[in-house]
Amino acid sequence: MSEAVDTFPCFGGRCAVRVGGEGEHEAVAAVREAKRTLLAAHATLSRFDPASELSRLNRDPRETVPASPLLRRVVTGALLAGLRSGGLVDATLVEGIEAAGYTESRDFDAAREATVAAAPHTGAHAAGPSRRAGWCLLAVDEAAGTVSRPPGLRLDPGGIAKGLLADLVGESLSGFESYAVDCCGDLRVGGRSGRARRILVDDPGGGEPLHELRIADGAVATSGITRRAWSDDEGRPAHQILDPATGRPAFTGVVQATAVAPTGLLAETQAKAALLVGPERAAAQLPFGGVIVEEGGAVQVVEAIGAALPEVLAA
Amino acid sequence: MDPIRKRELKRQAWQRLSAQRRRAGLLRGRVVVISLVCFAFLWGVVFVQMATGNDPVLAPKEAAVRSAAAGARREGQAADAREPEAERRAQRAKARAAEEAGETEPEAEVELVEAEAQAVAPATEEAEPEAEEFVEAEPQVEEVEAEPEPLVTSQS
Repeated sequence: MSEAVDTFPCFGGRCAVRVGGEGEHEAVAAVREAKRTLLAAHATLSRFDPASELSRLNRDPRETVPASPLLRRVVTGALLAGLRSGGLVDATLVEGIEAAGYTESRDFDAAREATVAAAPHTGAHAAGPSRRAGWCLLAVDEAAGTVSRPPGLRLDPGGIAKGLLADLVGESLSGFESYAVDCCGDLRVGGRSGRARRILVDDPGGGEPLHELRIADGAVATSGITRRAWSDDEGRPAHQILDPATGRPAFTGVVQATAVAPTGLLAETQAKAALLVGPERAAAQLPFGGVIVEEGGAVQVVEAIGAALPEVLAA
Repeated sequence: MDPIRKRELKRQAWQRLSAQRRRAGLLRGRVVVISLVCFAFLWGVVFVQMATGNDPVLAPKEAAVRSAAAGARREGQAADAREPEAERRAQRAKARAAEEAGETEPEAEVELVEAEAQAVAPATEEAEPEAEEFVEAEPQVEEVEAEPEPLVTSQS
């Protein structure tokens, strides 16, 4: 069986779509369609493009704004991520990200200031939810086709959009023998054949892969503070994952968390939550399993709860 | 009547009455004890039978057939005393036939059960490798088709 593959820049990184099936032409056409979908989503959801629908929504002075189905899904995803993580994953912290210095699109892979954020950070502590809880103020009316939020509350779905798009594209490819959607490292795999794929967990330090997962149908997402990292004006390490409680880059003792989950949105939410709660409680955020990398380089592989079920029942 | 004589008669009457009551109490006690013992014994039998896993309701059909045959034989024996010799013979022949039927059927059933067990056993044996295949089936499929290159999950 052959696989049609396309890799392209999207969402500030690289995306890839792989489709395998008996009909080669159908697979190629599906990859093309998936690529179009992802690029269109990027154009809709880019925070750095003033013409994007997201930017227009963020600027709109009205409380209730008409929104496309995709934007409504993304806002719903942001709301679900906030709910599932107890407010740790908050897509409304745009002011904090901009204050930290992430105001324009950057090529982080070329700059690779990873070591700045990866270095052990004094005063690491677990993040907490924001008192304002902006994500709670988001509302979607599917019947009216609108999104509501207080004017001035800006949205940056970030990884949530990547996980969600991996899910949406994956769903559209579910009729093929096999498929894999890679949205800048957020993966969704599946297909009728049920064949397990090897998935390597990247080393935040740039070394050899840390762990190998095998997944036939599901999603994997990784969240970390070493790739999209930089030094602020005062030379302090900064990155894009904020502690909602302080609005500043979070240094919790975890530098990277990888989550396995049935969907990309859930995997992204759990990975980010695991990173934010710190090394002691990170494993509890990964019920489907995952990999946690701590500041000192320690790697913790978390087994899915189901893997321990026979032992629990036997006890 | 002389009061002394009258008192003596009363005393004798009381004695007879109390003796009668004692006997009645004794008999009543014996009946109660025997009833309780029989009750406990029967329940004990049922308990032991159930506890050892020989619930007659759950027993295979041949047991029911056998007990039916035994019942028929008992009935036949009871009838022997009342019925003429010819009828008794006919009854015996019937009982024998029922007994034979009771003895042959179980064998057939055991065979059937064994056959079913044999039919199930290979299916189970086949199912196990399938379960293994589900978890580690990939290499078998991979032998025919090349494994796709691994994906990498990195910070998004």
